[in-house]
Amino acid sequence: MKVSKLISGAILMVGGAMAQAQGLPVFKIGVVTASTGAAATIAAPANAAIELYREQLAARKDLPFKVEFIQYDDASDPTKSVNNVRKLIQEDGAAMIVCCTTTPSSLAVAKVSEAGHVSTIAMASGAAVVEPPAEKRYMFKTPVTDRLMIGHTLDYMAKHGVKTVAFLGLEDAYGEGGWDELKALAGKKGIKIVSSERFARADTNFTPQALKTMQAKPDAVYIHAIPPSASLVHEALKRVGYKGPIYHGAGSATTAFVTIGKAAVEGAIVGVMPITVYRELAADNPLRKSIGDFVKAYDAKYGEGKAEMFAVQAYDAVGLSVDAIRRYVASGKKGDLEQTRKDLRDELEKTHEYAGAVGIFNFTPTDHVGLDERTLFLTQIKNGQFRLIKE
Amino acid sequence: MDSSTAIFLGLDGITNGAVYALVALSLVLVYTTTRVVNVAQGDFLTFGALAFASLAAGTLTPLLYVVLGIGAVCLVIDLRRARAYKRSLLAPLVRYLAAAIILCALVFAASHSHSMPLQMLAALLLVAAMGPLVYQLTVEPNPGASIVVLLTCSVGVTLILQPLGLLLWGTESLTVNPISDARVSLGPADLAVQSLLILSAAVVMTLALFVFFRHSLYGKALRAASINREGALYCGVPVGTVGRLSYFIAAGMSALGGMLLAPLVTAHYEMGFIVGIKGFVGAVTGGLVTYPLSLVGVFLVGIFESFSAFFSSAFRDAWVFALVIPILLWRNAYHGDELDEH
Repeated sequence: MKVSKLISGAILMVGGAMAQAQGLPVFKIGVVTASTGAAATIAAPANAAIELYREQLAARKDLPFKVEFIQYDDASDPTKSVNNVRKLIQEDGAAMIVCCTTTPSSLAVAKVSEAGHVSTIAMASGAAVVEPPAEKRYMFKTPVTDRLMIGHTLDYMAKHGVKTVAFLGLEDAYGEGGWDELKALAGKKGIKIVSSERFARADTNFTPQALKTMQAKPDAVYIHAIPPSASLVHEALKRVGYKGPIYHGAGSATTAFVTIGKAAVEGAIVGVMPITVYRELAADNPLRKSIGDFVKAYDAKYGEGKAEMFAVQAYDAVGLSVDAIRRYVASGKKGDLEQTRKDLRDELEKTHEYAGAVGIFNFTPTDHVGLDERTLFLTQIKNGQFRLIKE
Repeated sequence: MDSSTAIFLGLDGITNGAVYALVALSLVLVYTTTRVVNVAQGDFLTFGALAFASLAAGTLTPLLYVVLGIGAVCLVIDLRRARAYKRSLLAPLVRYLAAAIILCALVFAASHSHSMPLQMLAALLLVAAMGPLVYQLTVEPNPGASIVVLLTCSVGVTLILQPLGLLLWGTESLTVNPISDARVSLGPADLAVQSLLILSAAVVMTLALFVFFRHSLYGKALRAASINREGALYCGVPVGTVGRLSYFIAAGMSALGGMLLAPLVTAHYEMGFIVGIKGFVGAVTGGLVTYPLSLVGVFLVGIFESFSAFFSSAFRDAWVFALVIPILLWRNAYHGDELDEH
C-alpha cells in the first residue's frame, strides 16, 4: 500500500515535471468524497467515475495543460470535509475543488472555499448548498434539485388539468425537503394541496394514510419517498380504490421501485434524471451522445449496467472543472495561484451549454445549479420499465 | 369519516396488530420464565425475515455461519462447565454436533429447493437456534441478577444484533413472495390473505401458550422456575434448560412473525425494531405475564395506530407510545397489588 502510494506519488511528480518540461501549465483539482462512513455507498460510484475521468484525461494528448488530482476521504463527517478543503487550499495549492458527497458537508465547506477564493463543485442534492448565490459565489453543484424536479412535475400536472394534489412523504429529511418545495411551488402553479400524510420506512401498514388521501378527493397524488415505502404506499393507494394518477419524486427512479411494487406500480409517473431514459431521447439531443459515451466507458470499466445517478454527478463535477480550465488556458490569462483561482471561478460561472452526463449546464451569477427543463424528464411505468413520456 | 371507513380502519388495525402479536407473545414467554424483558425480541423478527428472504433467493444464508460460530463458543463453555462438575463431556458434544448437522442439512436443502415450507422451516429453526445461544451467553452468566441487569444485557444484545443484520444483508430491501397473494373483501375493507394468516398464527399461538402454561405439568414447571428460582431447583426443575427452551420458542415465534410479515412490507435490517417496541406496548397491557390480555393489547395498539395514522399521520407513533401511560395507570389501579409481590 505504502509502496504503491510512493510510486504513484513519484509518477505524479515525474509527470508534473515532464509537463513543466514541455512548458504545459499544471492545474491541481482537489477532490473530497465520503469514501468511508455513512455516505460511503453514495461515494463509491462517485469515486469510480472520478477515476474513470482521470484515466480518460490522461489518455488525451491534445490538451494544452495538465491536470493533477489530489483526493481525500472525509469519512462522511462535515468537520473532516472542512479540514480537507482547508488543506487543499492552504497546503496543496488546489486550483479548483470537487467536494462534497453529502449536503451537510457541502454546506460546511462553503465558508472555507469562499474565504480561500476557490471554486467548489458539490455532488450533494440540497439546493441550500448554493443558496443564496450572492453569498456563495464560489459554490456550484451538479445534481438535480428537488425544487427543479417538483416544479417540472407540477407543470406537467397543471397542463393535464390537475387542480388539487395530495402529498404523501417520508417523515425524514428527504420527505420534509420534498414537502417544503411542494408547499412553496404548488400555489404558484395554480394547484391546491388538499392533504399531506407521512409514513416511515419501518412502517408495517400504509392503509390509513391511503384512505385519508383518497377521502380528500385529489385530482392527483404526489409521493416523495424511496423504495420500499414508495412502492408500498403506491400499492396501498390502489388497494383502497384510488383511481387517479400517482406521481413520484426522483427517489423512486430505481429498479427496486418496480421489483418491489410489481404490477401495482404500473402506470406510475416518475420524475427521472436523463441517464434513466437517454436511449429514448431524440437523435439530435446532445444528452443522448454525452450520456451514451459515459455509460459505455463506465460499464466497460466496472461492469454492465453499473452506471448510475451518483456516478454521473461526480463525473460532471470533475468534467465541469476541467472544462473551465480548458477555457481559461485558451483565453491566455496568466497570474499567480490566487488570481488563477478567481479567474477559474469566473470561467466556471460562464459555463454555457455543457452537455454532461447529468444534463446540460448553464451557470450564471444567479444560478449555480445550472440545469433547466431539458434535464428533467417524466417517465411512466409500462410493463415494468421506465418509459419516457413524450410531451 | 363515515362508517365504512371506520370499519375498514378497524379491520386493518386488527390485522396490523396481529403483526405485533407474535413478538408480544415472545416477550411474555421470555419474561414469565426468565424475568428478562427481552428488548432484542424484534431483532429475531428481522433475522427470521432476512434469513427466509436469502433462502428463498437460493443462497445459503450468511446467518448460518454466525450461528455455527456462536454455537462453537457455547459448546466450549458447556464443555468447560461439564469438566468442572466432573460430568461426561460426550453429552454436550453430541447434542451440539447433532444440532449443527441438522441445521446445516436443513439450510442446505432449503437453499437448493423451491419448497416454501422447507425454506420457512429452515429459517425458523436457524433463528430459533440463536435464542438459546443468546440466553447462554447473556443470561446464564448472571444467575439471580435483578430485572434491571437482565434488561440492560438484552439492550446490549439488540445493539449487537441490529448492526449484525446490516453487516450480513446490507441496507437493501429484499422482496419475498407471499404464501398466498389472494385478497378478500370484508364489507368495505380489502385484506390480504397473508394478513389473515398472521392473524390466525397469532391466535393459535396465544391459545397454545395459554393452555400449555395453565394446564400442563411442563408449563407449570416453567412458571415455577420464574417465580422462585431456587425453590424450583430444589423441586427438580432444570432451570437452565427451561431458560434455553423458552428463548428457543420465543426466537422462533418472532422469526415466524417476520417471515409472515416480509411479503407485505419487504425484509430489511431495521424492520424489527419498531415492531418490537409496539409489541412491547401490547404486552404491557397484559403486565408482561398473561397471553390473552397481551393479544387484546396488540389489537388495541393496532386499531389505535390505524386511527391515529388516519387522523394525524405525522404523530401516529407518538400516539401509540403515549398509549402506554393510560395502560400503566389502569394496571396500577386494578392489578397494583400483584406488582408488590415481585
